[in-house]
Amino acid sequence: MTTSAEPIQHGAGPSRQRRINQLGLWLFFASETFLFGAFISSRFITSQTSTPEDLNQALALALTIVLLLSSISAYLAETANAHDDHRGFRIYTVATITLGALFLGGVALEWKEALEYFPPGTIYGTAFFSLVGLHAFHVLTGLIALAVILFLGKEGRFGSKDSWPVEGVIKYWHFVDLAWVIIYPTLYLF
Amino acid sequence: MWPLIRGTLSGIVGYMVGALIATLTTTSTFSGEFALVLGFVFGLLGWLFGIGMWNAWGREWVGLTPKTEKAEGWRRYLRFNTDHKVIGAQYLVTMLIVFLLAGLVAMAMRAELASPGQNLFTADVYNKVMSMHGILMIAVAVAGILGAFGNYLVPLMIGADDMAFPRINALGYWMVPPVAIALLAAPLVGSFDAGWTAYPPLSVLNGDGQVLFNVAVIAFGLSSILGGLNIVATVITMRAPGMTWSKLPIFVWAAFAASILSLTVTQFFAASLIMILLDRIAGTTWFGAPGGGTALLYEHVFWFYSHPAVYIMVLPGMGVILEIISHFSRKPLFAYKAVVVSFLSIAGIGSVVWAHHMFTSGMAQNLEGPFMALTEAVSIPTGVIFLAAVGTLWRGKLWFQTPLLLAFFWIFQFLIGGITGVFLADFVTDLSLHDTYFVVAHFHYTIVGGSIFALMAGTFYWFPKVTGRMYNEKLGKIFATWFFVFFQLTFIPLFWVGLNGMNRRVATYQDNLGGVNRFASMMAMIMGLSFVLFVVNLLWSAKFGPVAPANPWNARTLEWQVSSPPPEHNFPSPPSVDGGPYDYGVVGAPTHLREVADPVG
Amino acid sequence: MKKDIVNATLLWIVLSILGWILVLNWNIFPPALAREARIVDDAFNLLTVLAVPVFTFVVAILIYAAFRFRSPGGLEDGPPIQDTGRILTAWLVVTIALAGGILINPGFVGMSEVRGEGGADVVIGVTGQRWSWTISYPNGVDVTSYTGELVLPVDQRIQFDITSLDPDVIHSFWIPAFRIKKDAVPGRITQMFITPTETGTFAEDPNVRVQCAELCGQGHAQMSMKVRVVEQAEFDAYLDEILAEGG
Repeated sequence: MTTSAEPIQHGAGPSRQRRINQLGLWLFFASETFLFGAFISSRFITSQTSTPEDLNQALALALTIVLLLSSISAYLAETANAHDDHRGFRIYTVATITLGALFLGGVALEWKEALEYFPPGTIYGTAFFSLVGLHAFHVLTGLIALAVILFLGKEGRFGSKDSWPVEGVIKYWHFVDLAWVIIYPTLYLF
Repeated sequence: MWPLIRGTLSGIVGYMVGALIATLTTTSTFSGEFALVLGFVFGLLGWLFGIGMWNAWGREWVGLTPKTEKAEGWRRYLRFNTDHKVIGAQYLVTMLIVFLLAGLVAMAMRAELASPGQNLFTADVYNKVMSMHGILMIAVAVAGILGAFGNYLVPLMIGADDMAFPRINALGYWMVPPVAIALLAAPLVGSFDAGWTAYPPLSVLNGDGQVLFNVAVIAFGLSSILGGLNIVATVITMRAPGMTWSKLPIFVWAAFAASILSLTVTQFFAASLIMILLDRIAGTTWFGAPGGGTALLYEHVFWFYSHPAVYIMVLPGMGVILEIISHFSRKPLFAYKAVVVSFLSIAGIGSVVWAHHMFTSGMAQNLEGPFMALTEAVSIPTGVIFLAAVGTLWRGKLWFQTPLLLAFFWIFQFLIGGITGVFLADFVTDLSLHDTYFVVAHFHYTIVGGSIFALMAGTFYWFPKVTGRMYNEKLGKIFATWFFVFFQLTFIPLFWVGLNGMNRRVATYQDNLGGVNRFASMMAMIMGLSFVLFVVNLLWSAKFGPVAPANPWNARTLEWQVSSPPPEHNFPSPPSVDGGPYDYGVVGAPTHLREVADPVG
Repeated sequence: MKKDIVNATLLWIVLSILGWILVLNWNIFPPALAREARIVDDAFNLLTVLAVPVFTFVVAILIYAAFRFRSPGGLEDGPPIQDTGRILTAWLVVTIALAGGILINPGFVGMSEVRGEGGADVVIGVTGQRWSWTISYPNGVDVTSYTGELVLPVDQRIQFDITSLDPDVIHSFWIPAFRIKKDAVPGRITQMFITPTETGTFAEDPNVRVQCAELCGQGHAQMSMKVRVVEQAEFDAYLDEILAEGG
């Protein structure tokens, strides 16, 4: 972020555009934080910190680990791309997508159980389905974005010379993971 | 026209696909609530891609080269155009049309209220008409100045060739027409009657039109977030050499502060409306007491956005007015730095005062004191804005053109809005005044005074820049005075009826208030007529007005240093900035625009 | 320079005096039948008296500037600004003092006054539903706004336990002659304390009524109920009467 008194020169090259893009992405994250914040704070307002006994803690922990692992593979994909390691980029992106899909599958399983024990018509169920749903929607958009860069990058198009699309998508993926790191204790651990 | 037709067709197809998916996968009927939601989402995407997002942007995502569709003249405005000046003009025209439409709706409301009994509408229809007026006007106030002048002027004023994200900018604008269409189409599916505030449980239990309201307003919120993001990023990264933070024109600061708010808190409005949709469609119980939810939650989440939203509307208005006052008084802006600090603290403090809307709601008693204190604290930075305005006028060389006249009126009205706001911030008086016509009068003074009058002032001030022609000065002044005088005559009496037992959002009221209401209604009609002059003046002048020079006001800021209208990339070559934007009468002050750098370099 | 300041100050003083004369002589309020109504009206008046000089200060400068500082053409520049810092400091001191002052009184002082102290002499239940009020009197009899009226004893501290039917929507229980209001929220009981100090009826003034003040749907405007404030003996008689009617 450029907040110095001396502004940026006009007509500078791709590095300036990259900084603008980075700033835009961080502003977007700031905005999204408020959206998640609204739902997370609402969970505490309506049902304080109560959690039902029937929560599948093992599954939730497993999902958290899967998502954290996907962040690592996403990081590796980004690094590989920055070093023009196209094969590494493809492998780690596929790994990230697989882990992400695994996470969504786990969420589906979790919802099936949850519908029995605490349906949306209960106050915990309301917070649970809303928050997990909101997050799952973000995971889904992240997966689509990952699929797009995997598809576009299959000819080695990005690499170090045009790394921004990869960097942006991976940053978004990290952000979605981070959101889960906050949502997980919000819903399961209190 | 082709992009519009293409967009409309793919929007309709998108709607059909969305509604069909909903019908096939759930128990929703084709016009049911879930079908409306999914239909709107797919329809919006279809419209956006059809209007030009696919060609300009989407093609990149599948590895094709994006196509730019060039057009000249008025056709530029009817397509996905990334030029910030085109987008600013699109916003201005769209918002003025919506404003006039919502104004006509207001005239219908005043016709109903001209006498105590039921006249024009049933109570049910009145509630729907009132809700429509409310949300359309809120949209105008939120996106009028920021959308039109924010887009048109911020890049020009800071010496940039465009916004930081031109395509996101165009995307943000083209989300607006479907929003307007969804709101206006809501009567087809039962309309919405819960006011623009949409408090549950009413908004969970009422007709299907509420669903369209929710999805439309969420989309509008997204547009507002993208617009805010763009302005913040533009101001931070796109300033010309020499354009330091302390040389930014004050309007840019105002737009920046408002944009930070719209970037962040708007998400809370989206969240609260999503919760209503979930309660209606997915069977959750955020606000349903039987399941353990509470309606008070909505009020907190909603007002966390909707109080700062007042500052999203008014901060840019302050910027426009201070800008005009400095240029037309031929004096430096009084206490520039204090004004900047005030903008930022209004945005900051304004974000933590929301529960003063809830003094009668039954929220925890220990919240009442702190929220009263915080709310009254906002009056301190707001006071600095008034000081800057009158301090700049004092002993200035006042050139009384229409913009300055409107600026005077703005100060007067926003002053009344601000002072009556203190009565609503005070706990005791608010218990009486809350949800009465006193509040109605107050927020019309604040928002019409603070935002709409500034929108009008800005429209006249920058009209020569945008159209390249001068408006008619005499007609402009007659319009401004007419609007102002009858605005007072309409709304001053409404303070009184509020004190005397008339609550908000009613089609009928007690007989003893009939006389004053009839007076207010008549004055409102005459006020409404003033807009004939406004429209005639602008339309006629845009076509036949005398050709405007580059700088008819002899102002220092950068937008006046380029031709009227400005060339496609704003500056013939990258500009650099030297002196301050308001150094009128400062001996030896260098010009604001130093030099346009060597075109070759 | 000096002349301008003197003239504008004179204008400010004249306008303020005119404003105060107006404010101190107007009677813009409906009848105040309760202790709380007087607290509200006093707070309103105090705020208005304080608002007058603030309002007239800005207006005086606007008027003075509009007549004295005109200049055609927009070519001539104004004089440079002096003393920005001192004026700003003075302005901040005054506005902070004003804001702080009204925060204490009528702010916190009024808040504690209007809340009052101690329990209630009479407890009356209020239930809102679309679109009527149900009053539950202490003797266990319910009266609705379709048929009955709200009868209250004078000089008694009355506690209203307010709620809304569940499920229903938010309403707000407001008696304009008493000024204050409180929302009726489904699933919650909110409380409002009122001490009527004068007798009165809806027939004498339409503000002696219950009015729903929170938009609740099509019957919102008509969701009202006549109120009658009576002497204690009459109140007791009324309670006996509705009990005898077989409530």
